[in-house]
Amino acid sequence: MEATLPLVGLLAPWAVSAALAWTLRGPGRLAGRLTAAAGAISLCAAAWLWLNALGGFAFTAGPGALFRVDGLSALIAGCIAAVAGLAMLPWPGMEKGPADPGRSRVFRIFGSLFTLSMLVAVTINNVALMWVAIEATTIASAILIPLHRSKASVEASWKYILIGSVGIALAFAGTVLAYFDFVSRLGRREDALNWTLLMEVAPTLHPDVLRLAFVFLLVGYGTKAGLAPMHTWLPDAHSEAPAPLSAMMSGVLLAVAQYAIIRWKAVVDAAGGPAFTNQVLMALGLLSIAIGALSLVRQQNYKRLLAYSSVEHSGLICLGLTFGPAGVFASLLHLLNHSLAKSMSFLLAGRILARYHSSDVDRVSGLVRTMPATGPLFAAGVLALMGLPPFGLFVSEFLLFRAGFASGHVMAAAAALLLVGVGFVGLAGHLARMLHGPAPDGVEAGERGWWMLAPLAMSVIVMVALGLLLPDVVARLIGRIAEAITT
Amino acid sequence: MQGLFSQVAVMGSSGVLLCGLILLWRRGVAAYITAFTWQSVVLAALTAAVGYFGDDPQLYAVAVLLLAIKAVAIPRLLRRVAQRFTAGREPAPYVNTGTSLVVSGLLVLLAHAAARPLEAIADVPTRAGMPMAMGLLFISLFIIVSRKMAITQVIGFLMLENAIALLAVLATYGVPLIVELGVFLDALMGFLVMQIFLYDIHDTFSSADVDVLKRLRH
Repeated sequence: MEATLPLVGLLAPWAVSAALAWTLRGPGRLAGRLTAAAGAISLCAAAWLWLNALGGFAFTAGPGALFRVDGLSALIAGCIAAVAGLAMLPWPGMEKGPADPGRSRVFRIFGSLFTLSMLVAVTINNVALMWVAIEATTIASAILIPLHRSKASVEASWKYILIGSVGIALAFAGTVLAYFDFVSRLGRREDALNWTLLMEVAPTLHPDVLRLAFVFLLVGYGTKAGLAPMHTWLPDAHSEAPAPLSAMMSGVLLAVAQYAIIRWKAVVDAAGGPAFTNQVLMALGLLSIAIGALSLVRQQNYKRLLAYSSVEHSGLICLGLTFGPAGVFASLLHLLNHSLAKSMSFLLAGRILARYHSSDVDRVSGLVRTMPATGPLFAAGVLALMGLPPFGLFVSEFLLFRAGFASGHVMAAAAALLLVGVGFVGLAGHLARMLHGPAPDGVEAGERGWWMLAPLAMSVIVMVALGLLLPDVVARLIGRIAEAITT
Repeated sequence: MQGLFSQVAVMGSSGVLLCGLILLWRRGVAAYITAFTWQSVVLAALTAAVGYFGDDPQLYAVAVLLLAIKAVAIPRLLRRVAQRFTAGREPAPYVNTGTSLVVSGLLVLLAHAAARPLEAIADVPTRAGMPMAMGLLFISLFIIVSRKMAITQVIGFLMLENAIALLAVLATYGVPLIVELGVFLDALMGFLVMQIFLYDIHDTFSSADVDVLKRLRH
């Protein structure tokens, strides 16, 4: 179905926002409002696509159906638009001091481009152009990491761009191999790299070559998704980046990389059955959960804690994909829940950092008293990430483990469950130390910028709603996606 | 004609691979940059040759872009960085020269094994070069992980890109032009950002040796 307008509505605002941030140099207020407006338009378009994808339709736009949105695209595009809209608000933790228009201008330019390339990656129909868009996310976000120039952030951005670029280059090698398989079977065609066509002809392709391609693709996109052992850049980049960027990188950039893996898995499975892809995904997933969970116990820096928790959850999402249709359902629900909880927690961590001037768990105490609203909200975010009810992550983790046991992967599910328990204990201990106890000297009590907390309180409400009700619009969409990619 | 084409493909890809091997036994950033430049020139020539024999004029445009970006623009920028802050010779890598050469020999063997299913299904005359593209891919990865200087890692990454471009041109006579353009744009932007970071690392740490980047290792 042609749907040019919603797609333009989804993508164009971010291009316009980047261009305006580039040209408008004056005081940041106007540019900030324009960016917020762009986020709102984009979110409306994403909501429209989401609601209309419920019927199982796919929407195309552009010459030769260049863009195509189906349920999976709509799900991730919704996460991106929501999280980016939230992160691009003028966060007080972003600027050091109120008057720093230069830095927030750079953030608005590259933050908008970053969001745009993520949205293009999940809506474009061509696998190679999707690769181009995902590579562009690396470049746009790497520029923003050393925004507060410090030794640690320069080092983090170097590690990020080097490991990220090398990883993503391998994903391109995988794409070339898949294209080669296509060409040697069906000849050269301009649209050979479209998802729709690839899925159609996948049963006639060579499973051997596609498996080799999948290894490259998984290592490549897995690097971006923070899967162990390619995750080494992630804790550094996510903890040294400015808070709103961390929120976007941890909340939705990982989801974009998972999107690429899910799509390619479907193609390779259609060619040679899911046994091979399940094996490698399960191995990487379990390793990621193990490394993430064990690091949660050792870490002493709360931004790094959140980053390692992303490694753990990324592993869980991967593991869920191997547990049959019910597991895919749980995985996608987990992806949605994690986007919300993680982005909110990182934004709050930015506020805490701005107040305490330290990201050390030991230096932060008495959070409930010094920041009476930020503290409890942060606690809610971390409790959600620990997988406690009534938050959505509890439901998705429960469904995921149930799918694991039901599909006969008892050992894998039990091991993951044990590791998640270890991570739970680690996070709980750190959180308790931060919330209670006497506040350190020189940290003033009270809350500034109350209105900024309203959207975050909203995310908590959504997270609880996802946990208690599992709204029909969410369950139906994810159900359709799971059905589409596992058959 | 087919025989000649196949020979040209094998010669060209061997040349590209050999230029990559130079990094393993030479010491000195200037030599690395020269090796990378020559590698790009050979790759561009091979791309044009595949365009000629395979009758695909689009590849001429790709070859020109390759020459302009990877054989002229990027080496020039690299030289400027190198002159700014290297004493010429890089510190000893994590793996010594002898071992590196043995490892790379093994990697080329591994590449032959990995490329076997590819060669089995390929009907293009260029298929014999594919293991060499794979070999260069593995060797570039090895160079990136075994070297200590940031600029050497960047050169390793650029060679990795060349390896993938070589694989694409041998296996499928190049990816569609629109994709090729996107890839070039990303490669150029990525390199420019890396170059900025090279200066940043030098300014904040007063050294281009990534051994000093240890603050975050835990």
